[in-house]
Amino acid sequence: MLSIKNLYKSYQYAGLRQNVLEGVDFEMDAASSIALLGESGSGKSTLLHLVAGLDRPDSGEILFAGHRVHAEPEAALAAMRRAQLSLVFQQFHLISTLSIIDNIRFQAALCQRLDARYEHELIERLGLGAQLDKYPSQLSRGQQQRVAIARSLLHKPQLVLADEPTGNLDEASSLEVMGLFSELVKRAGSSLLMVTHSKAMAAFMDRRVNLHNGRLAEIE
Amino acid sequence: MNRGFVWILKALLSHYWRHPWQTLFMAIGLIAGVGLWSAVQIINQHAEASYRQAQSLLGAQASYWIQSRRDEGIEQSLYIDLRRAGFRQVFPLIELEVGTVEGISVSIIATDLLALPGDAFGAEGDTGDFAETWLKFVQPPYRAWVPEALARELRLEAGAQLRLRGGRSLPPALIQAREQQGRRVLLDIGAAMSLSGSDRFSYLAVGPVTQREHARLAALLPEYLELTENQQHIDLRELTESLHSHLTAMSLLSFAVGLFIVFNAVRFSLWYRRATILDLRLMGCATQQLFTAILLETLLWSLIGTALGFGLGILLAHALLPGLGASLQSLYAATVDSDLGLSPLTLLQAWSITLLGLVWALSWPLYRQLQQSSLEAGRSAGLLRDEAVARRRLALAALALALIAGLGYGRIETVTQGFVVLGLMLFAAAWLLPILLAAGLLLAGWLVPRSRLLPRWMVSDGWSQMPALRSAMMALLLALTANLGVGTLVDSFRNAFVGWLEVRQSADIYLRGPRVDYGRLRASPSTRSWLAASHYRIGVNTRWRDRPTLVRGIDPRAPDSLELPLSLWQGESAAAARRVWREQPGKVLINEQLHFLAGVELGETIELNTDGGARKFEVVGVFYDYGNPYFQFYLPYEVVARNWSHHYSRGIALWLKHDNNEAMQQAEASLTALGARPGDWISQAQVRRLSVGIFDRTFAITAAMNGLTMIVAAIALLASLLAILQERLPQFAQWRALGLRQGEQLLLVATPLLIFCVIAWLMSIPLGALLSWILIHKLNIISFGWSMPLVWEFEPALRLALLVLLICAATLLLVSYQWRRKMPQALAQLGETI
Repeated sequence: MLSIKNLYKSYQYAGLRQNVLEGVDFEMDAASSIALLGESGSGKSTLLHLVAGLDRPDSGEILFAGHRVHAEPEAALAAMRRAQLSLVFQQFHLISTLSIIDNIRFQAALCQRLDARYEHELIERLGLGAQLDKYPSQLSRGQQQRVAIARSLLHKPQLVLADEPTGNLDEASSLEVMGLFSELVKRAGSSLLMVTHSKAMAAFMDRRVNLHNGRLAEIE
Repeated sequence: MNRGFVWILKALLSHYWRHPWQTLFMAIGLIAGVGLWSAVQIINQHAEASYRQAQSLLGAQASYWIQSRRDEGIEQSLYIDLRRAGFRQVFPLIELEVGTVEGISVSIIATDLLALPGDAFGAEGDTGDFAETWLKFVQPPYRAWVPEALARELRLEAGAQLRLRGGRSLPPALIQAREQQGRRVLLDIGAAMSLSGSDRFSYLAVGPVTQREHARLAALLPEYLELTENQQHIDLRELTESLHSHLTAMSLLSFAVGLFIVFNAVRFSLWYRRATILDLRLMGCATQQLFTAILLETLLWSLIGTALGFGLGILLAHALLPGLGASLQSLYAATVDSDLGLSPLTLLQAWSITLLGLVWALSWPLYRQLQQSSLEAGRSAGLLRDEAVARRRLALAALALALIAGLGYGRIETVTQGFVVLGLMLFAAAWLLPILLAAGLLLAGWLVPRSRLLPRWMVSDGWSQMPALRSAMMALLLALTANLGVGTLVDSFRNAFVGWLEVRQSADIYLRGPRVDYGRLRASPSTRSWLAASHYRIGVNTRWRDRPTLVRGIDPRAPDSLELPLSLWQGESAAAARRVWREQPGKVLINEQLHFLAGVELGETIELNTDGGARKFEVVGVFYDYGNPYFQFYLPYEVVARNWSHHYSRGIALWLKHDNNEAMQQAEASLTALGARPGDWISQAQVRRLSVGIFDRTFAITAAMNGLTMIVAAIALLASLLAILQERLPQFAQWRALGLRQGEQLLLVATPLLIFCVIAWLMSIPLGALLSWILIHKLNIISFGWSMPLVWEFEPALRLALLVLLICAATLLLVSYQWRRKMPQALAQLGETI
């Protein structure tokens, strides 16, 4: 489903070029989950952004669900993100001016995949039933992250990309949310590629890979 | 439109729902800008329509006039003889000026409806009641047809009789008007005669005649009457064009200030929604879709702005039109009625300019936002980082604009060109402002001692506020400059005008009309006790270089002639030039309009058509002639009397021996004894009140627009500060958590704001002076042909400084209220976990 071949990415900082990814090769099957571990600045988030088509590689290929992500125009990448992907960040990225229910429905409405029964189920499982008419600023961070999770899954994407999704929460809440998240991803039949620092969070995933010196290595 | 797109639109528009303050400011900026612009457009277009109507005013369309050379009016018998001789195109007119008991001057026009040629009064198409109305109009006790606006002004109700000075009154009023009567009261000729106590007509108007008829008509007239061609056919559009251009330019300035606010609001609305836009892009919204959605949003705003702004424009036009209409009538005899006719074209224009303004305001920030990659768009450092670059770019653009304005200044020949140069200059100044604000901050930072951490921090916080305050400061600078510049123009003009009136209207009484023989008056023993001096004036109407022109014969030794203020003269002094004009034959004085608009120079020899053919006169001086749209030549009385047999009387000015009430009462009694009736004369006090009243009414619109522009700028400031509050609330909460007090926090916002306002105010002073200099020395001369000395006073600038301080204080109060409301929540979110 996701295939990354010989991927290179570098950045220019203060006149100096810094190589972040140096020939990354990576394969991911449908309905699987992978934890992407690594030190700070190792390029984990960069890799995630490249997979989502938010950034362009220097060279190499990213193939996802029939898309040549590394080469397709912005419009095609936008269509791909809308229907086949979803992103969950540490900062939630909720639309502050829309109500919680509108936020949950938003991406599914964009790709016209609203499903009332599944929506109800997600809201129940994530314990958001009493918050639907509120606005993001009226919710706690934990609740906001649950809304972000609900939004990312309602349209049943093929791949969910998560960047430290519980980084803003305390440990107990992180474990609870992560448990729910991985379970709901599986139930949606989606894959999950998650960047994390935490081994405890990584334990929820099928596979764990480590990004070190610009290359990926499987962790057994 | 698919459902996905509707959701995008919903997400974008929800911003306005959740941030009503921003929505309100954006709406106010748009509505105020469009309102001010469209008010002037509505007035100008309405005035143009009225000028077209003025062509059909009673008598204005006449091909010829039959007038008395002696200003004595015309006997009824002559009129009857002419009608009997087959001249059906001849009809009588009486024009009167009467004063009400409240001292308001009212113009009256009277005619014989029966005698009017064919369609001259447009009776057809009226309702069946017209016959009855018409019968009442021509039969005692008669009816006075009063236009609605005039009736409102006079507080006159239908059926009521307007009370006049001297115990007279008008017939019962009928509130209705024909476009041919303009702003005048229309009476039947019989009613006018009984009101004036005279059985003579003012003049006879003659419709189109063949050459043979013309010759026959001229032969039938007695020697003291003359058949003159209607040369005073005034092209009102041409005469008033400059005034309307001035108004349009002022409205565009207001629109520009409004535009800065919209620019500000649009920038903020995009900036606030960068997170939303980022989310939308992360969720797969294509740039194209976002662009289309924002364009649709813009279209919606333009419709709201146009609808409400145009509504405001109509209200403003209604409020400003009566004053302006009265001025136009006084200055140009141009009639503008007060019932607005709105054309769909004006509405369309308003919408186009609103949409263009919005697209202009939106294009650059939107381009920047959508051009950035999704990742860059989410970084909040963007605005700050770009600020320095934007400042430098704006400064470079400002220099380019200033250069173009400088090059264009020497080539200004028309009012429009002048305002383009002014516009370039003002925009150059506005765009230069950000770099000066930055320089001001650097200087302030340098002045604060290094040991004073808190003050240093407060000054340096200006760098964070700069992006949000930049456009508002530009709007403030423009508003302050316009206020100072236009205010100085008006003050200078008023100063020059009042000084000029003191000399030109130094006589105590002005007497006109045929009832008094001026020769008898001067010789009468009854006047000796009070009459110190008199000035009998005659005149000839003609056209010169295709513009209505007056050739006036004045008494060179009359007190006002001896002091006639000259702006240019030949020889060593104005007095010497006046002496040459008085004593040497073939010399003429011209008004400034002839010098500036027709390009007549001192020492130039001009030709005037006299009864004996063209005669040459040498120009020895140029006199000020404020408020006059015509060209005017001054010649000694005898020269005009000798060369133009058909000259007519322009009345007589009388100086009293003593400046007191007793002398005035004596003079009035004397004039009444000589046959004059109240209304034939007007006192100096009345005439000055009238003149200054016209002046103030004319500039009331300027003051109103200046005030509104300041309000618009104040709103920009408020919107910007609230934007800062909204944007930086979490930051302020963090600082509060560090122990910063609310007062210190308010100082943090207020210090840079005050520094910026002081810089904008300081910059507006030279800029306002420059604006008034160009308006007075360039545009006023091109527009009206009037020159005047620039009177610069510091007091208006100080008043504006106080006003700016008040605006800042009010804004900070609102900000602190908003803080109180929102800070608890921001503080609560500081350390929050699940």
